[in-house]
Amino acid sequence: MDRLSTRVAVATDSNSGITQMEAKELGISVLPMPFMINEETFFEDITLSQEEFYEKLKGGANVVTSQPSPESVMEFWKDILKEYDEIVYIPMSSGLSGSCQSALMLSEEFDGKVQVVNNQRISVTQRQSVLDAMLLAGRGMNAAEVKDFLEKDKFNSSIYIMLDTLYYLKKGGRITPAAAAIGTMLRLKPVLQIQGEKLDAFAKARTSNQGKSIMINAIRADMENRFGGAKADNIWLEIAHTKNEEAANQLKEELLKEFSGFDIVISPLSLSVACHIGPGSLAIACCKKIT
Amino acid sequence: MTNIIDAKELAKMFLAGAKNLESRKEWINDLNVFPVPDGDTGTNMTLTIMSAAKDVAAMENPDMKALCKAISSGSLRGARGNSGVILSQLFRGFTKSIKEKDKLDVPVFADAFEKAVETAYKAVMKPKEGTILTVAKGASIRARELAGEGCEDLGYFFDEIIKYADEVLERTPEMLPVLKQAGVVDSGGQGLMQVLKGAYDAYLGKEIDFSIEEASGDSLKKANLEPNSDFDIKFGYCTEFIIMLSKNFNIKHEMDFKEYLESIGDSIVVVADDDVVKVHVHTNDPGLAIQKALKYGALSNLKIDNMRLEHQEKLFKENQESKEEAAQEPMPHKEVGFIAVSVGEGINEIFKGLGVDYMIEGGQTMNPSTEDMLNAIDKVNADTIFILPNNKNIILAANQAKAMVENKKIIVIPTKTVPQGITAIINYVPDLTAEENEETMKREMGNVKTGQVTYAVRDTVIDDKKIKQGDYMGIGDKGILSVGSEVSDVTACMVQEMMEEGLELISVYYGEDVAMEEAESLKQRIEDAYPACDVELQYGGQPIYYYIISAE
Repeated sequence: MDRLSTRVAVATDSNSGITQMEAKELGISVLPMPFMINEETFFEDITLSQEEFYEKLKGGANVVTSQPSPESVMEFWKDILKEYDEIVYIPMSSGLSGSCQSALMLSEEFDGKVQVVNNQRISVTQRQSVLDAMLLAGRGMNAAEVKDFLEKDKFNSSIYIMLDTLYYLKKGGRITPAAAAIGTMLRLKPVLQIQGEKLDAFAKARTSNQGKSIMINAIRADMENRFGGAKADNIWLEIAHTKNEEAANQLKEELLKEFSGFDIVISPLSLSVACHIGPGSLAIACCKKIT
Repeated sequence: MTNIIDAKELAKMFLAGAKNLESRKEWINDLNVFPVPDGDTGTNMTLTIMSAAKDVAAMENPDMKALCKAISSGSLRGARGNSGVILSQLFRGFTKSIKEKDKLDVPVFADAFEKAVETAYKAVMKPKEGTILTVAKGASIRARELAGEGCEDLGYFFDEIIKYADEVLERTPEMLPVLKQAGVVDSGGQGLMQVLKGAYDAYLGKEIDFSIEEASGDSLKKANLEPNSDFDIKFGYCTEFIIMLSKNFNIKHEMDFKEYLESIGDSIVVVADDDVVKVHVHTNDPGLAIQKALKYGALSNLKIDNMRLEHQEKLFKENQESKEEAAQEPMPHKEVGFIAVSVGEGINEIFKGLGVDYMIEGGQTMNPSTEDMLNAIDKVNADTIFILPNNKNIILAANQAKAMVENKKIIVIPTKTVPQGITAIINYVPDLTAEENEETMKREMGNVKTGQVTYAVRDTVIDDKKIKQGDYMGIGDKGILSVGSEVSDVTACMVQEMMEEGLELISVYYGEDVAMEEAESLKQRIEDAYPACDVELQYGGQPIYYYIISAE
């Protein structure tokens, strides 16, 4: 097949925070993640909206994330391959879910036409990966080349999340030993980080102002030490939150003072993360821009 | 009077200075400006100098070098509180200057005074005038003048220095407004004067009491416990006295006397000087020891305690201590460790939950010494150790300990209150370097306001507020915020003074003397007054302070 005429599709799952509507505008495909709520299955952004989700979470419902079924994944790809020759598929981080591993296995049956990217992104950074993949495919890379590029680039992102409470983290059992040691007597707002594979405790704060200042300092340190300086042309800066839009908008104002000239996107955190950390969180993320 | 002083004479003068300070420590405590119930300046300076005096008293025929080392390292290790640390630095500078000399005369003393003052000023980050430093400087200036005038008469030299330093002391209220308002001279400066005057008395040959009270220091208390820590006390009376020798008492006599004491008891200490012998023995028949001693001369400073009666209490205390130590003993090696000065079981728990490895019990009533800090540093098996002093009077001792540690990196975060300490450790980020953390912690601790509520131990006027003994006071970061006769009102009033725009969280740590219901209702009162703030109530269990409150 002529290289230039190879049609490369970009696909991801709903952990990227990309809505079905946005996906259509971008010309990509998003696989909805399934949720079990009180034993009933819902699909993110298809049969379950953000509002419904938080309402159920707040009501104390038992919310469990699950992997998409192998069948649904393969059907999803097959649909895309009706119009495209190859797929770059970017699932959520293999450090947070087994779905990447399953996808890798399933892709073996597609003769290299489906390239599963294992680059350990989640939420806003996963979203950025999708945009990067589109850019690279547009430059004429095939799916395998895009995968290779993105995986080499995988550590060039950073997320810090300040939680409003430790309650959901404890409840979900998704708490690393380090995070478990946080705060016994005092009510604290833990700041977590997602760096590559794992979600781990990073720091703690007593007030949200303290938490924000910790995240801003950490992001600046990452930019300067790892991503070649805090410059707008070098770095994507993002804000994410769980049902905390007002605070997110205010944080944007504050970030613009710290990092002037940056274009800052605000997105809700994907529900797969939200169900572990609960509402009221704020996150700052950055990715190095690809060259 | 001699114009040259040797090591033996200097040792006598030092001990006399220490003793004189000790005898006036309560009086000096009363000069404290803040009417907070604590045992600061007089007690701290006494404990500091006694730590050195104990070593000096145990020396037989010291040479100058050994004497200087005993004075310097003894006081450095024993240093407590700000004036204690400054006193120890004065001694360090003084002894550094004279340790190579055998004989001290006027020019040597003048140099030593200058070196002492220079060293002490360096040890304090922001030297304040109107304090012990100013008095010491006055002494050294006068000493230099006299030496410059060719004065050789040591007696005149000492007399003039003391006169002039006393004048400087009298002027301290003019330099520090808080002193003037309270109508007192600086307590640290007064402490230094007592040391100088005691030493001068010894020089003049006035009656000197060599006995060093063993009950004055923590380490001494512990040392006393050792022999009778068995469940059964074999020898029941702790017996101490001094023999004023009227007969020859040579090595052979000393050996015989010790041997006799060993036959009737244990824990024997016999220290002979030229004309006195200090005796300490635990025995069931103090009379026998006294009779034997009377053969060598008259006795003075007799003290006999029944240890069996005091044993229960001591045993309980010691037990508790050793239990704590056992629990903390086998500590695995870490990269970074934390030491906090803390008081009150609730506050201890909070610090423990936040990752503090070792707690030094202390705070306002008992300032830990540099040695306590060194012991704690020794117990924490980490390459880098952060110390949270949590009291403004303990920061210098922590810094001094830092300067004495070589094999570990010590970082003192100068936290002045418990809430500052809590904020500092909360802001520690394991992923950052020690330097980055130091910077963050120092910055963040400044963003928390502290208010503490206690009672006044005497009448005074401070920060333009009239305070009567027994009043409750709310003390903020920069002074007294509220005074009154009802704890909750004083506390609420203090919180009002602390509040400002943008504060999100008020934490209330209630002390051991406050009932939970009372604390709950105070919490409610604060919540009602500041609906925009979260209010968190914690049991602190601290003595002396009914409430410690932070706003951030």
